[in-house]
Amino acid sequence: MASLILSPAEQDYITQGVERGLRADGRGGLDRREVTLRTNMISQANGSARCRTGYLGVGTDVLVGIKAEVNSWTAGEPEDRGAVVCSVECSPSAAQEFEGYGAEELNVELTQLLDRILGGPQSGLDLGKLCIIPKQAYWVLHVDALVLDVKGSIVDTLVWAARAALLATRLPRVVVESIADEDGNMQSEFDVVDDAEDQVALEGAENLPLAVTFSQIGKRYVVDASEQEEAVTQARVTVAVSPQMDICAIQKSATARGFAPSLLTEILHSARAIAREEHARFKRVFEAASSDGAAGEPSTGSTFLGTF
Amino acid sequence: ALSSASAASGTAFYEQGKIRISCAVYGPRQGRRSNARAGSFDCDFRYAPFACSWKRRSHVRGADEKEISLILEHAVAPAIRLEAYPKACIDAFVTVIESDGKAATIAAAINCISAALADAGIEMYDSVAACSMGLAGARWVADCAQPEEDAALCSMLIAYMPGADEITYILQHGKTTPEQTDQAVQTCTDMCARVYAVICRYLQSSLE
Repeated sequence: MASLILSPAEQDYITQGVERGLRADGRGGLDRREVTLRTNMISQANGSARCRTGYLGVGTDVLVGIKAEVNSWTAGEPEDRGAVVCSVECSPSAAQEFEGYGAEELNVELTQLLDRILGGPQSGLDLGKLCIIPKQAYWVLHVDALVLDVKGSIVDTLVWAARAALLATRLPRVVVESIADEDGNMQSEFDVVDDAEDQVALEGAENLPLAVTFSQIGKRYVVDASEQEEAVTQARVTVAVSPQMDICAIQKSATARGFAPSLLTEILHSARAIAREEHARFKRVFEAASSDGAAGEPSTGSTFLGTF
Repeated sequence: ALSSASAASGTAFYEQGKIRISCAVYGPRQGRRSNARAGSFDCDFRYAPFACSWKRRSHVRGADEKEISLILEHAVAPAIRLEAYPKACIDAFVTVIESDGKAATIAAAINCISAALADAGIEMYDSVAACSMGLAGARWVADCAQPEEDAALCSMLIAYMPGADEITYILQHGKTTPEQTDQAVQTCTDMCARVYAVICRYLQSSLE
């Protein structure tokens, strides 16, 4: 992940602070920062969400847009399911090292991680409902994420924004007709209803997981690392937990060291407790964002950037 | 040298069932950043075009190969004494000649790199041994082949340093209950210790 260059004294300060249970911004080891969420600001997308983790309007900022396309089935693909394709890009304006090809490795890492969490049955989405006509046509949901600002803990914010965007996604309704052709065979045709009022939500979107990232600093670990804490992190593990408390994905990153097996087991236990709180918090924040009068409000440039 | 590529500092060729992987380690050699206080470890992972059963792969590195390169770096770098190689870089080039199950191939690649690093004489805290498992119904099955992996509900990959008692990498793909995950971590770690014994025995015998 993008990291600051810290002097050895600063690194020591953060490490020793965390080992004594003190974090630079006063949080406890398992406390997360404030989250601001806004949904459906992109009128051209089927669903969208922008999530920021941080204080005072500054923090890790991720924008996710969902676009649904109808794909024709080709041999070799599953016959009765739709698909979810993820793509994450770190905006070059977010950090200096993201210029040019600097963010390429990070983009690949985040894309594959998001794909691992959302791209199959483990995401909780009902992919069968995304099939329009078996062996003929299906919906593909393109989950495109843009990381606008990086202040530590990209993955957690990324998954929050993706989950919010998918929950806010509305697909046009599809009408399927079966007609008999000259030979008496049944041919199916579908028609996409072009009515903005007649749209369906994604089935199973409430089962989507949230990610919790644990960063090991010295002998203790913290959740939702800030930029400075990330620079001192020796090992990091991301655990994705569904609302039913199932573990949907685990991935370790950072290269300085590994985890002792007992510490890893403790982290997996903590992950469930924290995920329970996070899911409750998500519900509150999402409902507030959706009822924010955004339905009647035109999404102009100033609402997009200003009051956020 | 345990394999070909005589210009390399260390090489290894690893076979596990149908999986065949070759790794060459170059280094320590001049790093790209001259002000680095510790060495850097880079890994380049590639499938040979004929390696996978499902289709021919192009010579251009795909996104999944780039991700696996990062996975290998995250799994093996904790074992290397990088602070002993300031301003230097250690490069590992992994080529999969034949693959059988994605998680099993990544585990085999980690084992192969460990052997090649030891062959190159790079200072390490311990060798990294890796193992993969798949969830078939309610039971965890070790080292799944491709058809078993396609049918499995979940796959788990763990890389472990038995001497230092540290899990250097964990990757779960698929949904499980927390108890199933705990069970998998336990079993996989034990299996890694057994794989480690095999690697060590082979390295010792190659010196004789």
